[in-house]
Amino acid sequence: MDFSIRAANVEDCKDIARMIVELADYEKVTDHVKITQRDLEQDGFSKNPFFHGIIAEVPEQLRTKDGHTKVGYALYFYSYSSWAGRAIYMEDLYVMPEFRGKGIGKALMSKVAQLGLAAGCNQLNFTVLDWNKSSRDFYMSQGCCDVTTSMGYHCMRCEGEALQHLAQP
Amino acid sequence: MHFKIRPAKKEDCKEISRLIMELAVYEKMPDQVKIAHEELERDGFCENPFFQCLVAEVPEEHKSKEGFTVVGYALYFYTYSTWKGRSIFLEDLYVMPEFRGNGIGKGLLCKVAEVGKKKECVRLQLSVLDWNTPSRDFYAAKGAQDLTVSEGWHAIRFDGQSLDNLANEAAKI
Repeated sequence: MDFSIRAANVEDCKDIARMIVELADYEKVTDHVKITQRDLEQDGFSKNPFFHGIIAEVPEQLRTKDGHTKVGYALYFYSYSSWAGRAIYMEDLYVMPEFRGKGIGKALMSKVAQLGLAAGCNQLNFTVLDWNKSSRDFYMSQGCCDVTTSMGYHCMRCEGEALQHLAQP
Repeated sequence: MHFKIRPAKKEDCKEISRLIMELAVYEKMPDQVKIAHEELERDGFCENPFFQCLVAEVPEEHKSKEGFTVVGYALYFYTYSTWKGRSIFLEDLYVMPEFRGNGIGKGLLCKVAEVGKKKECVRLQLSVLDWNTPSRDFYAAKGAQDLTVSEGWHAIRFDGQSLDNLANEAAKI
């Protein structure tokens, strides 16, 4: 499937807000979402943004039945390990169900890894819900290690060779 | 004991690096420390710093037996929750053993909460090792919720009333 990956801009916030709710629905916690499109605009596109976004887009002819061409996103920010130094944290990774299985999720995550390495980061960290087997299997297949085994969220990290590999286009 | 909490300066990085190693030893993972003061100087004091840091200092007359006056630190950075918005993550909180029990740890924690509140952060998060009972008890006593019960790291959060209370405590220091 033809798709493109690009940096999010302020005009994307409406679609990012839509997909955040879709992801929360998928994670069965829709009522947890308190932020709005306006919060995203202020917090992600001001002088000192709290996060950065990447959007996956498909051409018009592949748009959804509701008319959306923005079909996935990754939201990340830079963090720090006092042991390992610069790190990148992927807060969200989401692809609309009808567009899965096409490499879009992997492309988004790879882009995050690439940006992290370009910025001198030594780790890519994120979390996943333990019942989310398809996501866990996907992440494991990319060479990540499960740093915290628990009954709920897991902290995940890609580093070293796995991270280099992930950053390959 | 009289102490001061202030933002770290670039010149503090050697001391912070020393304290980072002490914390790693305490956490039984000293071989995991890969960075030194040079990385801290570069990453914490550039135009878009990767972290912020507060240090706790005692006067000369209370210096440690090795002669240190920087006796604790808190290292943190801003994060984002796509559900709740602006957050702050406390990466490290450490006070040298001989200076514990004097309110320095609490002072550092409260100052971080205060900084977060000024930036309209709605969460303060951190992690703690499950065997680290003194630290777990310390955070629980401050109203933190243990979000992930596991065999290893725990994710901890301050929000709502407990965060307000913590930030308000900073004004008393």
